[in-house]
Amino acid sequence: MKNLIELIVSFMIIGIGAYGGMATIPLIQQEIVNSRKWLSIKEMGEILAIAQMTPGPIAINSATFTGFKVSGIIGSTLATIAVILPSLLILTFFTPFIMDRFENNHYFIRFSCGIQVGVTSLIIFAVYSYGCGVIKGWFDLAIALIAFFLLVLSEKKLHPILVIVTCGILGLIFY
Amino acid sequence: MNLKQTKLQGQGQFQDSMPERVSVTAIFWTFFRVGLFTLGGGLAMLPVMRHEIVLKQKWLDNSDFHSMVSLATAIPGAIAVNTAYLLGRRLGGKQGLAAAVLGTILPSYIVILLVVWILSPFFKYPKVAAFLRGCSIAVAGQLAFAGLIFGRRSLGKWQHIIGFIIGLTLIGILKIHPIWGIISVSIFGFFFFPYKES
Repeated sequence: MKNLIELIVSFMIIGIGAYGGMATIPLIQQEIVNSRKWLSIKEMGEILAIAQMTPGPIAINSATFTGFKVSGIIGSTLATIAVILPSLLILTFFTPFIMDRFENNHYFIRFSCGIQVGVTSLIIFAVYSYGCGVIKGWFDLAIALIAFFLLVLSEKKLHPILVIVTCGILGLIFY
Repeated sequence: MNLKQTKLQGQGQFQDSMPERVSVTAIFWTFFRVGLFTLGGGLAMLPVMRHEIVLKQKWLDNSDFHSMVSLATAIPGAIAVNTAYLLGRRLGGKQGLAAAVLGTILPSYIVILLVVWILSPFFKYPKVAAFLRGCSIAVAGQLAFAGLIFGRRSLGKWQHIIGFIIGLTLIGILKIHPIWGIISVSIFGFFFFPYKES
């Protein structure tokens, strides 16, 4: 029971901060790996890899997966609901107010500009913290750099899944 | 009818009134299909949603769709779910939004459960583990790329860079919870970021 409540709280926190898939990663690491210790960093890496190769947002995929690890099908259902709950509540209560010409509302623009910058800091921090977790040697670093430069050089023309699978195949050959 | 009304009143701003309702099952299956066949998260889903809803089914016009997407991106939470909520509500009220949100999350929920049940016993096989390890390291490269894209988009002025450094210090060095880090930077931004009336 305590586990289930912690699961709901953690995934609601993740749901609040999930500004786009990549910003979700440091939150998952903070909540699920560092603070609750439900998964190891290796397992988290596996989930992220799977989340990238299966349909749906990272937040939802990792909620379903972690929930299952913590307490089976009930856990995965509760975690999945918990992760979308904050945005559903915000949308339900606030859209009637901001719906109307929110794009020109200057309070809104100021706040969202700050959020963008905050999310940038979070992602850069995540490069370091997640990188330290999964990169164990020069060869790992080389794979990460290959992924990075493939994405930079192809600039959105190459689907991220192709990059992930390429690195997976490199892993299959060389590990 | 729906399109004409919007064009007359809104010029791209969507109003809250209900247009002709689309059937709940049609909404559910459309979002389910989009959810099932788009790999790689929310942003990958948007062009497919646009294709289904604007071009194929013609339930909304393009400017309405874009207006909803920008609101969905500005609100916390998975972009795909937020977009589904707004589109579903527009197309079929409360039932419509429930159908759209369920349709969006069910495919990933089901697929992940199948992965956990059927595939996860294989994760410890050396070959599978090596493949997954390569993939999970690629995610680090992907994160760095996302950092580059975000940085290029959001750090245009020196005030932004100070906000960025504050965020990095709070989250990385002082180890404040990331959520508080983001909130602090957005409060800083609210007061100190340059803002021009457009």
